[in-house]
Amino acid sequence: MSHLLDRLNFFSKTKAPYADGHGITTSEDRRWEDGYRKRWQHDKIVRSTHGVNCTGSCSWKVYVKGGIVTWETQQTDYPRTRPDLPNHEPRGCSRGASYSWYIYSANRVKYPLIRSRLVRLWRKARETMEPVAAWKSIVEDQAKRDSYTKIRGHGGFIRAAWDEVTEIIAASNAYTAKKYGPDRVIGFSPIPAMSMVSYAAGSRYLSLLGGTCMSFYDWYCDLPPASPMTWGEQTDVPESADWYNAGFLMLWGSNVPQTRTPDAHFYTEARYRGAKSVVVSPDYSEAAKFSDMWLHPKQGTDAALAMAMGHVILREYHLDRQAEYFEEYARKYSDMPMLVRLVEKDGHFIPERLLRASEFKDNLGEKENAEWKTVAFDELSEKIVVPNGTIGSRWSEKGKWNLEEKETDGNDTKLKLTNILDGDHDTVVDVAFPYFGNREHDYFKGTDHPDTLIRRVPARNVKLAKGGVLVASVYDLFMANYGLDRGLGGENIASDYSENEPYTPAWAEQITGTPADQIITVAREFADNAEKTNGKSMVILGAGLNHWYHMDMNYRGIINLLIMCGCIGQSGGGWSHYVGQEKLRPQTGWQPLAFALDWARPPRHQNSTSFFYAHSDQWRYETLDVDEILSPTAPEGEMSGSLIDFNVRAERMGWLPSAPQLKTNPLEVAKAARDAGKEPKDYVVDGLKSGDLKLSCHDPDDPANWPRNMFVWRSNILGSSGKGHEYFLKHLLGTEHGVQGKDLGEMGHKKPEDVVWHDEAPEGKLDLVVTLDFRMSTTCVYSDIVLPTATWYEKNDLNTSDMHPFIHPLSAAVDPVWESKSDWEIYKAIAKKFSEIAPEVLGEEEDVVMTPILHDTPGEIAQPMDVQDWKTGDVEPIPGKTMAQISVVKRDYPNLYKRFTALGPLMENVGNGGKGIAWKTKEEVEHLKELNGVVTEEGPTKGMAKIESDIDATEVILMLAPETNGEVAVKAWEALEEFTGREHAHLALPKEDEKIRYRDVVAQPRKIISSPTWSGIESEKVCYNAGYTNVHELIPWRTLTGRQQLYQDHLWMRAFGEGFCVYRPPIDTKAVKPMLDRAEGQEHVVLNFITPHQKWGIHSTYTDNLLMLTLSRGGPIVWMSEVDAVKAGLVDNDWVEAFNSNGALVARVVVSQRMKEGTLFMYHAQEKIVNVPGSPITGQRGGIHNSVTRAILKPTHMIGGYAQQSYGFNYYGTVGSNRDEFVIVRKLADVDWLDGEKDRLHPDDMEAAE
Amino acid sequence: MMKTFKVLAALLTYPTVEIKEAVEDFLPALKEEGLVPAPFQKRLQALITEYRERDLLDLQERYVLLFDRTRSLSLHLFEHVHGESRDRGQAMVDLKAMYEDKGLTISSTELPDFLPLFLEYLSILSQTEALELLGEPAHVIAAIGERLIKRGSSYAAVLEALGHLSGPADEKVKEALLKEPDDDPEDLEALDAAWEAEQVSFGPGTPDEGCPKASDMLSKMLTDIPPQGEAKPEETTSNGGTKNG
Repeated sequence: MSHLLDRLNFFSKTKAPYADGHGITTSEDRRWEDGYRKRWQHDKIVRSTHGVNCTGSCSWKVYVKGGIVTWETQQTDYPRTRPDLPNHEPRGCSRGASYSWYIYSANRVKYPLIRSRLVRLWRKARETMEPVAAWKSIVEDQAKRDSYTKIRGHGGFIRAAWDEVTEIIAASNAYTAKKYGPDRVIGFSPIPAMSMVSYAAGSRYLSLLGGTCMSFYDWYCDLPPASPMTWGEQTDVPESADWYNAGFLMLWGSNVPQTRTPDAHFYTEARYRGAKSVVVSPDYSEAAKFSDMWLHPKQGTDAALAMAMGHVILREYHLDRQAEYFEEYARKYSDMPMLVRLVEKDGHFIPERLLRASEFKDNLGEKENAEWKTVAFDELSEKIVVPNGTIGSRWSEKGKWNLEEKETDGNDTKLKLTNILDGDHDTVVDVAFPYFGNREHDYFKGTDHPDTLIRRVPARNVKLAKGGVLVASVYDLFMANYGLDRGLGGENIASDYSENEPYTPAWAEQITGTPADQIITVAREFADNAEKTNGKSMVILGAGLNHWYHMDMNYRGIINLLIMCGCIGQSGGGWSHYVGQEKLRPQTGWQPLAFALDWARPPRHQNSTSFFYAHSDQWRYETLDVDEILSPTAPEGEMSGSLIDFNVRAERMGWLPSAPQLKTNPLEVAKAARDAGKEPKDYVVDGLKSGDLKLSCHDPDDPANWPRNMFVWRSNILGSSGKGHEYFLKHLLGTEHGVQGKDLGEMGHKKPEDVVWHDEAPEGKLDLVVTLDFRMSTTCVYSDIVLPTATWYEKNDLNTSDMHPFIHPLSAAVDPVWESKSDWEIYKAIAKKFSEIAPEVLGEEEDVVMTPILHDTPGEIAQPMDVQDWKTGDVEPIPGKTMAQISVVKRDYPNLYKRFTALGPLMENVGNGGKGIAWKTKEEVEHLKELNGVVTEEGPTKGMAKIESDIDATEVILMLAPETNGEVAVKAWEALEEFTGREHAHLALPKEDEKIRYRDVVAQPRKIISSPTWSGIESEKVCYNAGYTNVHELIPWRTLTGRQQLYQDHLWMRAFGEGFCVYRPPIDTKAVKPMLDRAEGQEHVVLNFITPHQKWGIHSTYTDNLLMLTLSRGGPIVWMSEVDAVKAGLVDNDWVEAFNSNGALVARVVVSQRMKEGTLFMYHAQEKIVNVPGSPITGQRGGIHNSVTRAILKPTHMIGGYAQQSYGFNYYGTVGSNRDEFVIVRKLADVDWLDGEKDRLHPDDMEAAE
Repeated sequence: MMKTFKVLAALLTYPTVEIKEAVEDFLPALKEEGLVPAPFQKRLQALITEYRERDLLDLQERYVLLFDRTRSLSLHLFEHVHGESRDRGQAMVDLKAMYEDKGLTISSTELPDFLPLFLEYLSILSQTEALELLGEPAHVIAAIGERLIKRGSSYAAVLEALGHLSGPADEKVKEALLKEPDDDPEDLEALDAAWEAEQVSFGPGTPDEGCPKASDMLSKMLTDIPPQGEAKPEETTSNGGTKNG
């Protein structure tokens, strides 16, 4: 019988329990869910990201409802990676997730602001005068000028109209250009990668004006000079996904989960995959918990640790047993086989220059650049040969600049590493190596080894054109430098790790406090993994190492490890320096836009560290004598003078740039030359020789040499990045300051030799400070004019990073609120106003521009042997050879705006390029005309491609860059082929038709295309890793030897004892002793002042964001160990004052057991504008972390005109280190909020001040 | 149009030549409408005199320092109501919709929650409606007013007048608001309290209350959900921020 009619056929009973009675369906009303649905409703989602100073480069969804940004969430649509590699997302962190707060925040700069005192003067003057005359009447009247400059930082702003503020700015710029020269107008903006159009807006304006663009990477001390020294590369690193491929991952002075939050998942995933990890960090950092082993050396002694690890690896993998992979790698990819001259000094030998082909009879057959070709022994021919790939080959005969194992004659070679075997060397000699670890320092322990360590080295006699010379290979000297006993006898060497000789593990234990057995274990495992995996050992290193005065030693110590284990250029291995660089992937497409190379070349670039050292007069307080850092093995010769003298000499010899350049207005120089019937170049040379023309660097305090106008955008230079903050306030701005120390004059100390001393130091060099920002930062507070800029959700721009291979946009979710505008529109408005008023004083002008000898240009092989200064008469001043290059640039001031908004003719006529190669761009210019449209109005730009909007500007970048235009990439690789004689275009050919446009990246982040601008490749098979094309495509490194250079042979490198890597303890800044009496009778402690990157902000951004303040303690804080807290009688959350002769700061103390005794952390960077009380020492509001710092230059960073050690913007130059500083810390008895007099301009303005 | 609200709005707007010139009409307008009682009018006199006598640039400078640069005196209502909370965006959307209901579009560059803008909106409503609506941010107005009094600012009088119109503020909520640290704090204890490590809570509520929006939503759920099976197609009200202060 059928049950058909008894059962339900189309239904089942809803309420019936299922899953053995565990499940039941219910039917409550679900309208409560609407509340949540409404909460997440929106009109549109816009893709944007977070601008300036975070490497994250995370794509975000910005939700907009009713024209208002409501919130943001992480984007999750990055292109997939490949099987067996985790994807990139989710990217983002708590900082980015709180960004939308800024848009409508009370902290937002909403209107153009100007000091009321200045605007009052201006309006009065403008009643009767034209703009430039009006400005002149204000700044040339001392009392008027003082009235607004001396109150910088003390409020007094009013809102003003765009038209008025742009007119003031333009008038000031025009006045400055006319009166002193356009190079007195400077602009500071960092990190173009994170919003490249915004950066370019200001730099394009400045470059058309002839103003000076200031570097940032070196000033931030994020540039590791060891990278240009070793590789001829600013910084190139693996993408974070490549961490996953590592077998052994070391984090050294880097705190990935805290400071690389969106990438940290690759670290976790690498651990799951089985990678071993060691974290080296003095404090128990967030990264430390990931580690299999946590090493915590004393801060600042990392080089000692690295040297000891190197000692172990060399002993076990190169000497006692030769790991085949390591040895082959060293032979092919490092300078280890190259020969070094040994010369006698004080009864033994010291390593001198690398031997050059030019020293041999007939130049060893080399026709060109023989002075720039280094040589080595060849095992096959048993002769000295000139191998392919040296810098001499780069800039002479085509096709020999590669790393094939060949000599320039074309014969195969096998370069010889060592002459240790009997019969290979003629003699064994005593070679002296400098030792600095015995220098006295109050807070760093040394050992009592002698100043020079004499070690035995196998050497050969080589016959030269004139006489002979004793030589040794870099390899043999390198081994001796590590103190390895090779059976040659002598002292200062060890065959056992427990011997106390530099650089054994036992020795390192004394310096670093890290147990020797831990050092040995880590070194062995690092090398063991590298040997088994062909180089998949990686070191992630960061600011913790790079911010020390002798950062090069920390870095080179680690680079040595990586090269001796063949890790550089191998996926999963290598050198991962992620500090501040934030790779501008489409760099060569961006440069023409940013520096107006489409209109005039060269632009004016300045290295900021030397500039601020001179112009905030920090040199007047210098405490570091050159003698203290000079090597005991320094070659004979004059190395006298102070640090600024060295910098001046570097400027004079064309090594470093200058700003301003000449005391005379450069707009007058060309005229004067024509009047005298001379070419401007000759006129300048003659003038400098005779003394009629003077370089500004000789007298930075002469009013004729002051910088006059400063633009700051996308930066908080006076707050988070002004090393020597109080000196900035005193001398550059001329306002109240907290400088405690006395200058050299007051102290009766020796004055500089090459720089004019004025007893009365200038206070207030700048006539006008203009800052563009969306929030009222410390820099804004000190500015004369503050311009409200668009936030990162209100503008269109591009964003790339070194952490992942994608390019993606910032895009405008809403129009800029209140009266803010995008940076592009702001500079356009200034340019327009400038063009309108320029005819009052300026027309078409000839501007004489001086440029230092530049890296990656044929000029970089300028000064091959000794250091010769034309000032001493040893050589003639020859532009581009023994001094700066001199060019004449035509400015068209009344048409500056037109030039700003059109792509100029040089792209079509000259072309584009980068890193030493060049290609034509005619087709791309035509494409841009079609894409952006052409200028239709009459005038000098008619018919040119328009660059009207920020999106037009992005298209210029994308069209011209090989990374985003496959056709250009192929052209670029082909251009490189000319040099190397090898085929490379295969790297880009599969993507030749790809052209990435702005709208494409708005739709989804796009992976960029492989380009010869970078040393890694974008591929479906390997992750991006630096040095990859050097190793796999045999493209030389852009160094003297063409190899990874472990030996630095420039005279100044040798003089300062850094030919090879050595351990150097931190310097003594002497900032504490003179202030100790101020803490007398009070409990206090002296601590090393360290400023690591923080968790609650990206530098100072987000530190005024209430969400982030809530997550930290909500104001300025410093961290201290429990032991130190007891010493100073402090408990957690006490207010403390930290001070030294540079100034003082006030903060709450966090007492934590994770801190290393002897250190004080103040996370970078906290704002003066948030909860900062007064300091008894200075009588001023608290101070910031930079209040207790002062920049100190290092001469080796000034070297130029010498292959890889030639200047490049943000590539090489002095750096603003600050970790060697100590402070006195004591409890702040009374907290005084200084509700006070200074902030009050009018007695009846009580309410405002309180 | 109620001029009273226009007058008070003008006094809280960035000082301009136009306002300076019109300032003589302000007190007569208030007198005529009689919404603001005489003692409150009298207290406004000081500010009006300053407008008359003092230099415009000085007035502007003071305004920028007080209202543009001091977070705790921000004239954007939601700065105090929602602060850094995500609800702020939605609240502004709702407010804008409310204006649009009356056929008003924001044509200036200001945000919907800017107090003078809000007051201008009130000026076109009926008196009853306006006063009722003004009651909603009463605690914010009271808190800003109190801070201005503490600073001895003549601007306090404007907030006091508004405070009178809006009726008594919810003391509990106002106190909570005043607990938020002032930007240039004199009161160290308040500052200490703000710095004390405690449960993180965004928004103006006290920590143990949790997110006020969430609790509000919960209570709505409890009252709005009809008994099972008798769903009524009754419209649920939006969770707009203005209601939740």
